[in-house]
Amino acid sequence: MLEVRNLSLTYPNGKQALTSVNLSVQPGELVILLGGNGSGKTTMLRCLTRTLQPSSGQVIVDGRDLTGLQGEKLRQARMSLALISQHPSLVRRRSVRANVASGALGHYSDTLTALGRVPRPELDSASHFLAEVGLEHLAEQRASTLSGGQAQRVSIARALAQRPRALLADEPIASLDPEASEEIMRLLKRLAKTDNLAVLCVLHQVDLALDHADRVVGIRHGKVDFDLSRDDISRDRVRNLYLSEAA
Amino acid sequence: MTDRSSTIDMPLATQANSLIHKRGLSGVLQFTILLGVIATIAQSLYVVQARPQDLITGAHGMADIIRRAMPPDFSKLKSEIWPTLETIDIAIFGTVAGVIMALPLAVLAARNVTPARWLYSVARGIIGFTRAVPDLVWALVFVAAVGLGPFPGALALAVHSIGMLGRLFAETIEQMDMAPVDALSLTGARRMQVFTHGVLPSVIPSLLGIALYRLDENIRSSLVLGFVGAGGIGFQLLTAMNLFQYQEVSLLLIIVFVVVLAAEHGSAILRAKLG
Repeated sequence: MLEVRNLSLTYPNGKQALTSVNLSVQPGELVILLGGNGSGKTTMLRCLTRTLQPSSGQVIVDGRDLTGLQGEKLRQARMSLALISQHPSLVRRRSVRANVASGALGHYSDTLTALGRVPRPELDSASHFLAEVGLEHLAEQRASTLSGGQAQRVSIARALAQRPRALLADEPIASLDPEASEEIMRLLKRLAKTDNLAVLCVLHQVDLALDHADRVVGIRHGKVDFDLSRDDISRDRVRNLYLSEAA
Repeated sequence: MTDRSSTIDMPLATQANSLIHKRGLSGVLQFTILLGVIATIAQSLYVVQARPQDLITGAHGMADIIRRAMPPDFSKLKSEIWPTLETIDIAIFGTVAGVIMALPLAVLAARNVTPARWLYSVARGIIGFTRAVPDLVWALVFVAAVGLGPFPGALALAVHSIGMLGRLFAETIEQMDMAPVDALSLTGARRMQVFTHGVLPSVIPSLLGIALYRLDENIRSSLVLGFVGAGGIGFQLLTAMNLFQYQEVSLLLIIVFVVVLAAEHGSAILRAKLG
């Protein structure tokens, strides 16, 4: 389970980016974050992965508070939280299989993974994760040869190889065509259920959010504007979120 | 940049005056630059004491040397094989040792991956120093330290290559796409794992290309290092010149030509394959 308690972030220039954000994502649940540009969605994900240090509040993954951790403890804690970003960020010259297996490196010592070596069990497991995203047949291909949609699915397989408890996705379909976008959203929803993952996804596509989310959370000016199940949310409510953000 | 709207608002005569004024200024600037260039060339001719007439009067002497160098003395070809091999091996040793020492320095000297600011400064300092001192000077230092022969030459090329390779390697690492590296860090991978699985696979073809180019350069340099006693074919060339063995000199020049050309082509072919 992923839990965010009273998360706030104030930049050194005094700008309040997040204000007392509370949010929880249960295992097996897909929660979608909506909000206009600059509303604080990506900032929140960066606080969750600790690439930004929140000013106050807690980020709890599987009962473990990540906010106060440093060094080796933070590295270990990061393994429980996988991030899929807007661009797949694969190592283009390596094979798809090696890219997927690299998600698990943190579970092994430097000696076992020296000189770019990937442990044999992880190379085998990569087939399983690639099968989950429907790309097992591309395992030996170079990452540079993949289409945008395929590369994003490989990055999801890499995230799964990490064996996380929660999956964060920051606009994972931003650069994909409608068909590939639909596929990725279906995949995230399925993985939440089959792998019992807490999935938190930032999106700009309202229709896809309403089609796939179990819950939708609206963020405005760094605060939670609404947190509703898909059945309880109306399009007007979402439209108001963007209108008020623009104003 | 000219403000177009303000120019349009001006009366025609004022616009013309303004343009003439600007052209006049740029004309003065151009004339000043031209004078500067001429003055620079003139002072260099004065300092090097250039006397083109000497080339004409010396033509007879040059023709005499060429005549005495013909035909090349191919009977000595067998005895030149070892010095040639020595020359190539000096370059190979220098390049390999240079790569081994330059790579860790380059990692420390690349802003985007260096673990600490002070390490960056130290690494940049070493790279700058080893590059600033020419390989010929390094060869003189090592000849004095370890004696005559190919080993001081190889050491000289290794040390100079640290600077040349270190800088180019660091620049390549700085220019790489950091997104895959950041993504790997966020999976919980350790620093060394991020380096060996994220940084290295992305830059290794470029680094190999640079190293091959350096090998090509080092082969040229190792030919000259022999002149200061650092072994190889350069040493043979110097000895033959001092003994007025011009037919042997011409043979050695043919060997130099073939070696340099082969190194250049071989390096270019391998670099193209990497690309």
